[in-house]
Parts: sequence; C-alpha cells; structure tokens
Amino acid sequence: MTRSYAYFPGCSAKGTCKELDLSTAAVADLFGIALDPLVNAGCTGAREFRAISEQLHLTANGRIIAMAEATGRDLVVVCDTCLLNLVETNARLRADAAARDAVNQALTSEGLQFKGTIDVKHFLWVLTDDLGEAGLRSRIVRPLNGLRVGPFYGCHIQRPAAAHQRPREDKPALDRLCEILGATVVPYAGANKCCGFHVVTTDESIALRMSSSHLSNATAEGAQCIVTPCPLCHTVLDAYQPDMERQQRRRYGLPILHVSQLVGLAVGLSAEKLALSRHVVDCAGLTAYLPDRPLAPAAGE
Amino acid sequence: MNHSSRPTTRPDTIRARIYRFDPETDQQPRYDTFEVPRRPLMRILDVLDYVHETLAVDIGYRWLCTSKKCGSCAVNVNGSPALACWDEALPEMTIEPLSNLTVIRDLVTSRDDYEKTLASISPQLVRKEPYQSFPEPITARDFAATVHLRECIQCLACQSVCPVAAQPESGFAGPAVLVALSELAQDPRDGADRARIAGETANVFKCVSCYECERVCPSEIPIVSEAIEPLKRLAFRHTDAAGARRARAFLGEVKRQGQVNGAFVALRTKGLDLGAVRLGTRLLRRRKIDPFSLLRSLLGRRRAADAMRHTYESVEDKP
Repeated sequence: MTRSYAYFPGCSAKGTCKELDLSTAAVADLFGIALDPLVNAGCTGAREFRAISEQLHLTANGRIIAMAEATGRDLVVVCDTCLLNLVETNARLRADAAARDAVNQALTSEGLQFKGTIDVKHFLWVLTDDLGEAGLRSRIVRPLNGLRVGPFYGCHIQRPAAAHQRPREDKPALDRLCEILGATVVPYAGANKCCGFHVVTTDESIALRMSSSHLSNATAEGAQCIVTPCPLCHTVLDAYQPDMERQQRRRYGLPILHVSQLVGLAVGLSAEKLALSRHVVDCAGLTAYLPDRPLAPAAGE
Repeated sequence: MNHSSRPTTRPDTIRARIYRFDPETDQQPRYDTFEVPRRPLMRILDVLDYVHETLAVDIGYRWLCTSKKCGSCAVNVNGSPALACWDEALPEMTIEPLSNLTVIRDLVTSRDDYEKTLASISPQLVRKEPYQSFPEPITARDFAATVHLRECIQCLACQSVCPVAAQPESGFAGPAVLVALSELAQDPRDGADRARIAGETANVFKCVSCYECERVCPSEIPIVSEAIEPLKRLAFRHTDAAGARRARAFLGEVKRQGQVNGAFVALRTKGLDLGAVRLGTRLLRRRKIDPFSLLRSLLGRRRAADAMRHTYESVEDKP
C-alpha cells in the first residue's frame, strides 16, 4: 500500500536547509511514501504573522490546510514551527465557526475552502506512527548500533501542550525512532529546551548562549551527534556553531542531523542522497555508520 | 545529614531533599535530606512546615496566603516550578529555590530584579481621562481579552524558566512583567504609550516563543498567545523595534515571492555587518545558500506571490 500525503516543506527546507528536503524525499521514496508538494502554498508565517495580525495568521495557515484538503490527503511538514502554526489553526478553525467563516471568505477568490477534514503531521510522526516500528525495521540494512545520539526536539513539536493533543506517549517519538534505528539515546539537560532561533536575527548573542549550553551538555554526556526534527533548530545548532565556538571559546564540532538523515543512514542511503556535505559542521566522524563509502567532500574544500 | 539516594523505604514517609544556602555564611549550597511522616492530602508546604517545626527550625522558606493567591511560595520540585501551598507532596522530592533568581536564603528568592523591571513599564493604570466615579464606564466585553491575564499571582515561576530572562544583559523584561504590561495595554482606560514600552523598554520581541512560561504557569495563563503576542502586535504597528522591522521584512518577502528567504529577512532587519558577512560566506561555502536561487529570488517575483497576495492583503490590516 502506498502512503500518500500532501507535503509542505516550508522555507528552510527549500532554502538554507535544502539537505532536509533532499533527504526527506530520498527516505520517503525508499519507504514508498508519496509526498506531493503543494504548489504556491506560501508561508505559515513563522512567529511573524501571529505578531502582525491574528487574521493573517489564521488565513495563511487555513489556506495551506485547505489546499491539502483539496487533494483529500493529510498534510505533512518537516518543521516544528510550521507544524505548530498549522496544528493550532486546524484545531481553531474546526472549533470556531466565526473564525472559519472569516478565513473561508478570504479564500473564496482562490476557490479554496477550509473544511477541517484532514490532519497535520510531522514527517517524524509519519515514520513512527503511520509507518510504524515494523515498517521502519523492514528497511534497516545498517543498524546504528553504538552511535550515541542526543535528541533535540525543538519547542513547537511539544509545546504548548494544549496544541498537541496526541495520545500520551511513554517515550517521545524521536527517542523511539532513534532506538528502532539501533542508536543509543543520550539524555542531556536542554534536549527539550529552546534553540533561540526566533531571536537569532534580532539578538544573536541570546540564541548563541542558549544553544551553546545545549551543545555543552550533549557533548558532556557523550553524544556523537544531535538529531532534530526542526530545521530552525538545525540552523542555530549547525550553521551558528562556529559562532558559538567563538563566543564560548571552545570547540564543539558536534554534527547536527535532520531526522530524515539519521533514518537514511540506517536504511543504507548514500551521503550524497542525504546531502550530508551541506552542513556547516563536518559529518565525517559519522562515516563509520555509512553503508557504502566515505562522505563526499564539501564543495569548495 | 543523609545524602544517599536510596528509595523511600516506608510508604508512610516522605523523603525531602532540600537546598540549603545562606550567602552570608556559606561558601556553597548543600542539600539536607529529611524524612517526614506522610499524611493524606499533604502539600509541599505541609512538608516544609513539618521540617521547620520539628527537624530544622532555621530553614528558610516563604509563604503567606496558603491558598494560591499571593504567589510567594513557588519553589522548584524535582527540577520544575511548583506552588508549595497548592501542589501535592511527592514521596521523593528535591526542593530547590526557583531558578535564575538571586537566593536570599535556602528556598527564599529575591523579587527585587522583577520589581525593578516591573516598575520600569509603568505598572499602574495611566488614565486617558481623569477618574470620574464608581462604577467605571467599562463593560465585561472590554475585559474579555485579558480575563486570563488577571489570574496571574506573580509567583515568578514563568520568569524563573524563561531562557531569555535568565540572561539579564538581554534587556528582556520576562513573561511575568509582560503579563502585567499586556493587561494594561489592552485596558481601554489606559493612555500610556504601551507600544513603545513593549517594543523598546520591555523588549517584547526578544521572546523566543518557547512556551516554557506557559508550561509552568500554575494559573494556566496562555502567556504567549494572550499576553505576549498582543504586545508584539501593538509594537509592530507603532514602533521601529528590531522585531517589528523583522516582521515587516518577513511579510514583505512573503508578499514579494510567496515564501521567505532567510538571508533577505536578516539583511532587511539588521543590515550587513561583519557577522552577516561571516555567516553568509560560511553558508555559501557549504552550499546552504545557493547563489543562483538567491539571485533568482532577488530579481524575481514568483507566481506564488500573485496567487495569494490578494488573500493576504485582504486580512493583514485586521488585528
């Protein structure tokens, strides 16, 4: 059975975290999951639309959900912040008829309508819940035995609690996924804290102090890499890692992986397919867990 | 004192490991462990009272109303804030002062920094019109938006877990102060320049939206969505705070090309400085920025933007 979803990659996966889009496509393909990108779907507004106008926030997100509804499939995202905006809007517009009418009125000109018939899911949940443990295990060719992974969940996939009415789990989905892949989950202080992304362009030092403490804690607990379901967290932890090293006057060199890349390692996808060279922090230390060959060198090096 | 971590042996006993520190006499903090007879429906405060009355008369802790009104008894229990007068005592508890606040003694933390910051935002109603007489000419509808904010008991649990308020150099007022400010900013009788206070004095845009404050609020106030975001909206409309510029740049990018290019938002927010050049070079070198798509989005205007510009423009002026 082919699983099929509408897919909203978000700006990071289309821009500065292109490797997330590439590796998600590669992993989905391998598991026979069809992810059909929505066309001209716009933006969930990050934290900005909400700060401009609630109506804009609800309309932009209701519009994306309505586009997925028109395809009759659940909507999959790969960013925690997109996830929260869409999940909150989906619940709000289902429950609040006045808000729904206002959004639908704005959407009429494009022939769209929010009906509330689909769910919004993170790709992580597609893997752990829809595909499930058996489905995942069926394609593992290189269990990540011995790899010590520090999970970094990101705020918006877990908070606010009222937005995420998922069945109570005894273990976070990301921990379960790591264990299914054979990796060792390394608990550390800060795993469920904030990376600081949403102030990084206005006051970089705040974010650097927050995230450098997470890197220190994960390193102290012996993590060999961090895995995160959020490209915004990835951007701070990876792209800004040299800035944290400068601020804290110490070296981390801790590779930061997207969920799809960690899965990709275990199911035998190549470094190229996973676009591992498109990281600021070198992932060469993880070569031992690659099935075929060493990492391709990064461009220009 | 007993520092072992063996589990409670008897179900009728509570084992409380309590943080002890007197900055005037102690070099560093220590933990004392006490065994307290367990009674039905016991609260954290009952345990502290028992310790104080029976085992350690000098233990420092604070309480007043004992009924979730005054907000003076918040402490950390097993690493997370709890109201001593309200929350149930656990069989095994490590009780510590709230994080990121100055310890006066043992479990008692200073409210000075909070009160200083609170004073800086004019925490009193600054009336547009002179007070006439009771009853005030206001309706329940006028107060609907702030009804949850009025549940704040200023226990500072939110302030203690906020990762930005934990950095005093950030200039961020913190969630507890913003709850008070938002209540005033949305009060129809108030005439102070709350937009400027929110954007420039309290630095509301330095909120990272991590929702830690909401997680720990004993009054379950939706702090981010009902206190902080209304303040951001106000500051967005009426100030040139960096966060307001960022929001404008973000919306401009979406309207121009249908989605955001992070590099442009950053450039339009803070301009080109050494840090931006350093970061940009690094991202180009690792192909995290593709120069061709950068050029395309610099010159181009995508069809995506045309499809939705009308939709966006029809709603963006409505709060």
